[in-house]
Amino acid sequence: MSSRAPSSASHLSYQVGSRVEIEADYVVIGTGAGGGAAAAVLARAGFRVALCEAGPWRDPQDYPSTTYGAFRDMYAEWGQLFASGDSMIPIIQGRCVGGTTTINSAIMVRTPDDVLSEWARLGLGETMTPDAIGAANDRVEEQLGVREMAGVQLQHHNQMMLDALQAREMESHPTRRSAPACEGTSQCLQGCRSGAKLSTNLNWVPEVLDLGGCLLSSAPVDRIEIARGRAVGVHGRFRNPRPWEPPVRGARFRVRARRGVLVAASATGSAPLLQRSGVRLPALGSGWRAHPGAGVIGIYPDEVGMHTGTTQGASSVQLRSSAGIKLESLALPLELLAARVSGAGSVHARVLEEIPRMAFWVAAIRAEAEGTVHRGRLGPVRVRYVPTRRDLEHLRLGMVELARTHFEAGAEAVRPGIVGVPASLGPDDLHLLEAAPLANRNWTWVLSHLFGGCPMGADPRRSVVGPDLQVRGVAALHVVDASCLPTTLGVNPQQTIMAVSMVIAEHIAERAEELGVVA
Amino acid sequence: MTRRWRRVVGRVLGATFPGTESLPGLDSNRLDAFLERLAREAPWTLRRALDVCVLLFLITPPLTVHRMRPALLLPAADLDRHAHALANHRTYAGRQCMAMIKTVGGLCWGADTEVRRSLGLRAYGPDPGTFRRGGER
Repeated sequence: MSSRAPSSASHLSYQVGSRVEIEADYVVIGTGAGGGAAAAVLARAGFRVALCEAGPWRDPQDYPSTTYGAFRDMYAEWGQLFASGDSMIPIIQGRCVGGTTTINSAIMVRTPDDVLSEWARLGLGETMTPDAIGAANDRVEEQLGVREMAGVQLQHHNQMMLDALQAREMESHPTRRSAPACEGTSQCLQGCRSGAKLSTNLNWVPEVLDLGGCLLSSAPVDRIEIARGRAVGVHGRFRNPRPWEPPVRGARFRVRARRGVLVAASATGSAPLLQRSGVRLPALGSGWRAHPGAGVIGIYPDEVGMHTGTTQGASSVQLRSSAGIKLESLALPLELLAARVSGAGSVHARVLEEIPRMAFWVAAIRAEAEGTVHRGRLGPVRVRYVPTRRDLEHLRLGMVELARTHFEAGAEAVRPGIVGVPASLGPDDLHLLEAAPLANRNWTWVLSHLFGGCPMGADPRRSVVGPDLQVRGVAALHVVDASCLPTTLGVNPQQTIMAVSMVIAEHIAERAEELGVVA
Repeated sequence: MTRRWRRVVGRVLGATFPGTESLPGLDSNRLDAFLERLAREAPWTLRRALDVCVLLFLITPPLTVHRMRPALLLPAADLDRHAHALANHRTYAGRQCMAMIKTVGGLCWGADTEVRRSLGLRAYGPDPGTFRRGGER
């Protein structure tokens, strides 16, 4: 165990000037669900941990109110990150201390048993045992105060979805979230200014610093230093969180890792970082997967109050096992709802007048499509991803079920937002939605749950990390985020990412003496 | 973004988000400060993408309302039809162009206090843009 650093040096943010040199036992790249959890475990085990985060450290009082501010301050690439292929699909990711945990709905779902069975068939049964992952899920739930939303947190628009699903005899439940004191401000996607959402910047990151660790914020890592087959540190350069105020490029930094480096730079960041660091593995950048999602707007005779209550309070997994579909309510911010409503001009404006009577419910699917992620030529990252026809069939089924649920709840019309389907459908028009064209370019969708790029597995040709999440061929280098997950989950992934990361971090801590220390 | 081009962008956004009797649209009062802020703060790639989309909007009336003149020289009714037709156009590029314009316009429109009040929503608070400096705990 190293001695504690002085507290004044425990957080380094954007700065110019001479190069910064730091030493720690472990360097963790990324502070989101995976990085935050791993760092906390290692710090509790007595190791000095240095966290490197590409974005700045913002507290709830720093969070923006508007979606413009959220794009600017909280989202990767101003929310303009896309997966391309035969269409462009937006990718939603956070970029700040806490990563995506700051801008998601904090929905927590235990790792499904069928997923663990799939992983066992991939040769991961030794580390990803139901007992180990189950116990880690328990710890995550306890530490983050996970509980089911109720009462004022739900409000009308979530409750009406729950009631309609129940009336249709479909499974339904209020979401379980790591926001026990949620005040229902409907601001999850901009960052919860009331501080009720327990994102990792509010718990695990400060805990790591309290235990003697340090944090470099606004500090994107350019490359991992690998010497004689072992990860020994990271290099990067501070970046101004207000890039419109030069100088944008700050001081260089190097963090020396005496015991190892853990990569948790996200499903779009970890594989490109390993590529930049000289890791050459055939599977690197492969196995990139997602849960594509799309929504149906319901128009009701009376006010719905979509923007009150928790952002996503109602959910159904009725169709998960048969078609990989999850249904959820979503309070889309007004700015994005205005863009989502089809059309433009005066026709569009007349629809916008109906916003108080709108409810927006979404379907996310456990897609079978597999894409790639690589270093970008023009941007920081290039994601190629083409949903399959079967994926579209499932998503279409999900949209039909959402429409039926809207009508059950009393909607007068629904607006699916699919090119080739009338903008507004009544209860007797569902056959038109059932026949919606299966062409990716006709759909308005988004990728919010991302996986892969550094898939774990037992087969060295088809995986980047082994069952212990160590990068093949590089000692003391682990991947502990969504990029290592070898399959999709069919449920919100945050809790599983945290649990897997905890299990591996505990494994690393136990084996620390075996790997030894870099002199 | 020059002041002149900013006016062009503003008029395109205004055509995309016109007002109604009960709901304010995007007019210069709302757009001027927003576009200035966007030009200052947004990354180069986003600004250029918006420029390209606005340019496409300007030159595509022959494909939508079958008029051989730039969009902003169309009579108001034709401009309105053009915006709607491009948003629903059979070409992916046309629809994507309008998706970009609507996204940027939506960021301004949906944050406007008067718009939000008209829809029964509370006004937004600030976007402080602040963050923890080094050494702060």
